[in-house]
Amino acid sequence: MTKKKTRSSLVTGLAGGPYEVWAVLFILVPLAFVAYYAFTDNDFRFTTANIVRFFTDTSPAAGGEGTMVRTYLVISWRSIKLAVISTAVCLLLGYPLAYIISRSSPRAQKTMMTLIMIPMWMNFLIRTYAWMTILQDTGILNNLLAKLGLGRIHIIGTETAVIIGMVYDYLPYMILPIYSIMAKMDFKLIEAARDLGCAPAGVLRRVILPLSMPGVVNGITMVLIPSISTFYISQKLGDGMFFLLGDAIEGQYVANNLHFAAAIAFILMVALLAAMAAMRYFTDRHTYGGQ
Amino acid sequence: MKKASKIFTALMFLFLFAPLVILLVFSFNEARSLSVFSGFSLKWYRELFRDTETLKAVRNTLVLAVCAAGVSTVMGTAAAVGIHRMRSKYLRSALDMVTNIPMINPDIITGISMMLMFVFASRLLGLANSLSFITLLIAHITFCLPYVILQVLPKLRQMDASLPEAAMDLGCTPWGAFWKVELPEIMPAIVTGLIMAFTLSLDDFVISYFTTGTGFQTLPIRIYNMTKKTVTPDMYALATIIFFVILALLLLSNLTDSEDSQKLRAARRAKRAASGRPPMDPRRRRILYACGGSLAVIAVVAAVVFAVTETDNKPQVLNVYNWGEYISDGSEGSMDVVKEFAAWYEEEYGRPVQVNYETFASNEDMYAKLSKNAISYDVIIPSDYMIARMIDEDMLLPLDFDNIPNYQYVDEDFRGLYYDPEDMYSVPYAYGIVGVIYNANVVDEADTGGWDLMWNEKYAGQVLQFNNSRDAFGTAMYRAGIDVNTTDRSQWDLALESLLEQRRSGVVRSYVMDEVYNMMESGEGAIAAYYAGDYFTMLDAQAEGVDLRFYYPERTNFYIDAMCIPSCCQNKELAEIFINYMLSKEPAIANAEYTYYASPNRLVYEDPDYIEEMGEEAMAILYPDWGDFAEKYNTYAYRNLDNDLLDYINSLWETLKIN
Amino acid sequence: MDKIIELKNITKSFDGEVVLDNISLDIYDNEFITLLGPSGCGKTTTLRLIGGFETPDSGDVLFMGQRINDVPPHKRNVNTVFQRYALFPHLNVFENVAFPLRERKVPRDEIETRVEEMLAMVALKGFEHRAVTSLSGGQQQRVAIARALVGKPRVLLLDEPLAALDLKLRKDMQQELKNIQKATGITFVFVTHDQEEALSMSDTIVVMSEGRIQQIGSSQDVYNEPQNAFVADFIGESNIVDGVMLADRSVSFSGHVFDCVDGGFGKNEPVDVVVRPEDVDIVPEGQGQLSGVVTSVTFMGVHYEVIVDIGGFKWMIQTTDFVGVDAHIGLVIEPDAIHIMKKSEYSGLYGDYASFSNEFDELSDAESEGSE
Repeated sequence: MTKKKTRSSLVTGLAGGPYEVWAVLFILVPLAFVAYYAFTDNDFRFTTANIVRFFTDTSPAAGGEGTMVRTYLVISWRSIKLAVISTAVCLLLGYPLAYIISRSSPRAQKTMMTLIMIPMWMNFLIRTYAWMTILQDTGILNNLLAKLGLGRIHIIGTETAVIIGMVYDYLPYMILPIYSIMAKMDFKLIEAARDLGCAPAGVLRRVILPLSMPGVVNGITMVLIPSISTFYISQKLGDGMFFLLGDAIEGQYVANNLHFAAAIAFILMVALLAAMAAMRYFTDRHTYGGQ
Repeated sequence: MKKASKIFTALMFLFLFAPLVILLVFSFNEARSLSVFSGFSLKWYRELFRDTETLKAVRNTLVLAVCAAGVSTVMGTAAAVGIHRMRSKYLRSALDMVTNIPMINPDIITGISMMLMFVFASRLLGLANSLSFITLLIAHITFCLPYVILQVLPKLRQMDASLPEAAMDLGCTPWGAFWKVELPEIMPAIVTGLIMAFTLSLDDFVISYFTTGTGFQTLPIRIYNMTKKTVTPDMYALATIIFFVILALLLLSNLTDSEDSQKLRAARRAKRAASGRPPMDPRRRRILYACGGSLAVIAVVAAVVFAVTETDNKPQVLNVYNWGEYISDGSEGSMDVVKEFAAWYEEEYGRPVQVNYETFASNEDMYAKLSKNAISYDVIIPSDYMIARMIDEDMLLPLDFDNIPNYQYVDEDFRGLYYDPEDMYSVPYAYGIVGVIYNANVVDEADTGGWDLMWNEKYAGQVLQFNNSRDAFGTAMYRAGIDVNTTDRSQWDLALESLLEQRRSGVVRSYVMDEVYNMMESGEGAIAAYYAGDYFTMLDAQAEGVDLRFYYPERTNFYIDAMCIPSCCQNKELAEIFINYMLSKEPAIANAEYTYYASPNRLVYEDPDYIEEMGEEAMAILYPDWGDFAEKYNTYAYRNLDNDLLDYINSLWETLKIN
Repeated sequence: MDKIIELKNITKSFDGEVVLDNISLDIYDNEFITLLGPSGCGKTTTLRLIGGFETPDSGDVLFMGQRINDVPPHKRNVNTVFQRYALFPHLNVFENVAFPLRERKVPRDEIETRVEEMLAMVALKGFEHRAVTSLSGGQQQRVAIARALVGKPRVLLLDEPLAALDLKLRKDMQQELKNIQKATGITFVFVTHDQEEALSMSDTIVVMSEGRIQQIGSSQDVYNEPQNAFVADFIGESNIVDGVMLADRSVSFSGHVFDCVDGGFGKNEPVDVVVRPEDVDIVPEGQGQLSGVVTSVTFMGVHYEVIVDIGGFKWMIQTTDFVGVDAHIGLVIEPDAIHIMKKSEYSGLYGDYASFSNEFDELSDAESEGSE
């Protein structure tokens, strides 16, 4: 190691050093604490009871007499279901919108992207609250439907309402990454594909989609994760009719069951990391232009 | 195709902006209702500007966002540069991975993990309260950092690596090369990162919820804690103002843009021949650079100054922790009790006092924070069963009643109750009884009177049940005549059966807390169990065609919320002075009128003006003649249950919810 | 002439891979010296050592006799023209050129005159306020040169500065660079992988391969007297065959004994024999020293490129006389066209045209350019 090298690594160290310390102290150590709490009881003795409980707690099933279901697995299943549906809806709505925006004039692009950002500046609790007033049975939507003579529909307190809330809150997180990839895309490629005899649908499937895949992956990540763990949206728009993983964690925290809360958090974390790793692995092999 | 995409875009923006339009419109609503527009009024804007606690929360939120964004931008940029220059591939990819963790970890896990660490660390260090502005700031910086780094790093990687070398080659020191060449190159990414960090910090609720401490409540937390009452329309007014401020800022930035547009167009034309990005007018870049730089510097300085001043314990600070919307706060011409106290204190004692008034959403929420030594307060106002628990766990200090002479006005009925049999730790603040509220236009009078109404299949889809386990189980247990404090688990199982039946038969429309106001006022729900005082709040705002009535079932919940001093109190005498002040006539009446809850204070309920203000009907409901109050209370009130049983009930509750 | 830069026994490796293996090199004042070699030969690293962007693992860099191993780039009186120019995109042409002067706190009006002077020299007057990103490749190149020269360095380092230009522009710039070097009298250290460029511009050529210097000499030296098979092959076209030195001025290869002009080898010492394609004459079969069969003929404009199979070894011959494919021909080689080299590690690796094709050559050229 020469003097020069040590000096340059000193500069590097000065720049990155505080962050390295910070990352270890405030990213890694806290996660270690989650694991620590998850595997200990109230007296901080090692136990796997919390983890086991997550997989084994049972409750009577809805319809069937005497049949039992695993409480937290049912909660997990519902969380995953709602999160996946919301993510899919976000993708279905966000992808075309990102595409349309990326094809507009620079000025329109800027305006539309700003418009998409604006709701994010409103507090998310208030936004969700506003949806409550729109969707409730005597709310604005139903009043409108009634005026149009279409009859009222019951949305609030259903899974649909929760999905609407999630889609609304997280849609910008889907649009932004996809848009940023599409805006950079060289549209000569599309012309080339058309020139080579690709029909518009083929262009989408064989050129645009694979090229925008990194954005899609990012978008899915950024929507799926908050929607799988939310608790405010399900409380407000779900009318308290059902319980998601976020509610379970928050409930255990408020009930001062820190160790079980940590256990649920730990399991969720591990599952998400595995899912993300799997997704990246899969998409890395099937896309180009990834990082 | 073109048309279809236009329609699609329009619909999407309609979807994105619908709630904002609602916020905007209803912020001008005359009534409290959030579903029926009854007339134009600027009332809620006036309320907003009178609401010092909310304004303080706004200020806190902004301060936090500026500090977090500033620090994370500076540190994140430095980190990106460091990572970029790092030679070891392994170290670099390891750091990349760590950086990604806060982004792919759900908020709730980030929040909980940091809370666990802070609590643990402060226990190790023996600090009084582990959560504070600092911890909140650390948490916010932590989740903002990756966004900054992931903005800046790609920009650095895109940059021609020989640029800084060229600068050094031409006589710049490494530092100079960074400032003069690299920084201008990555500046756009830094500014984007800064804006993202600011936005994220501003909007965050979940992480703040777990990591905030005494003396620093942000707007999202304040809104969340409004659950005992309801989110007030002045929040809508606030959202509207925020909206217009942002709009103005955006217009302004667009305006400055168009000034440059001619130059830009020329540059773009020239650029078409060559490759690369359009050059930025150096002047504009310098301005941007200066703005970004100075903003970051200001933010860092502000963060440091703020952190120092916030933690620096001022001699006279009183930290009060109460339910949301549970004190007369000066809205609609009422008395601003906190402010008046500060003024009164200064006049009386010749010294200023700063009151930090903060709110919690539930007893459990408060207990969770206090029991972890996470926060420190001087006065708290929990409910009875929680007081019992806290006394049990040595979390409360005995009061010096010499400092609370007004205690004499508290009615004898409220002495020697189970939760504080020797009256050492608590001074009753308000009490209430749970009753059933119903819409007489829907519900048949003949069906009223007991708890059965809430199980009556005639009213399927119209009953609102409590959205918290203890109260929901309570309704079922009072109905069945089960002791609500039983330790017999089979009895709880029975109550669950009853609740399951109520749910499966489709009687329950929703499980609600504060949503009950909206839903009952608008006629969305026809039957709900709730606190007597709240009935009047609903009555005031009921929509046309809704006729709300109220009755007490035979067996029902009695509760008392009382003022206590937690063991983490920093200034006990001041706390006692505050408690005494709360018992004095004016503030006590103001609070009772504001909250609509019954007061145990003779100065209140014997006051003719108060009686007149409330009206005969209200007085009859709020202060019913139950005979021996203490006996009823001791029979029906919730008591503290042990942890195992609470855990059991919690899992029963989850069972109900997953069905 | 004085030595201005000396590299002494320099070794450098990255991640355990040796990039420079004990090289020594003297650079004299006022010369145009070219580091020539394929990609990965260490020429750019050598340049960066002189510029101060790398430090040697061992060995010394001397500048006018002073050891400068640890002197950072900004304190060296040496400037660089980077491969992709490294113009500062946030500064206009004037500011880019003025950058080093501003760094040195040169008075404002002096900056003005010196920048104008430089821009005039590179024929960019009137471009002062243009954004550098709006310039063509050649113009950017000129800005980079002006910027590097404005501070009057003793040595100018040029890292493949012409690689990104098209052929015509490249030729013009070669001439222009040579002129600038003559006009300013500054030492140019030029890095390229293009042998033609090196031959036409340089006073001295340093041929490098695999982290080692293979030969240092004038253009004529390295072309006419290559020291080993690598140099012979890399510079120009060469037929390299195994031979045995029978005695001074007598060598045997391809089954025939030739007269030659070299000597000083051991008796019967195996050697590499180099014959340039243009030095072989075609004669009717039986009249030459060697005979072979034509396997391919390519018209190149001024000459034909003929591949001839001589006893299984494929020779390349450049001739203005047309011969047909499959023709049996005789070959004559004059003594002074035969260059004898000592056997080296490169022996047998180069000089056979068995798999030769123009296309292939170009492809591998492009590859080495791209990977640089």
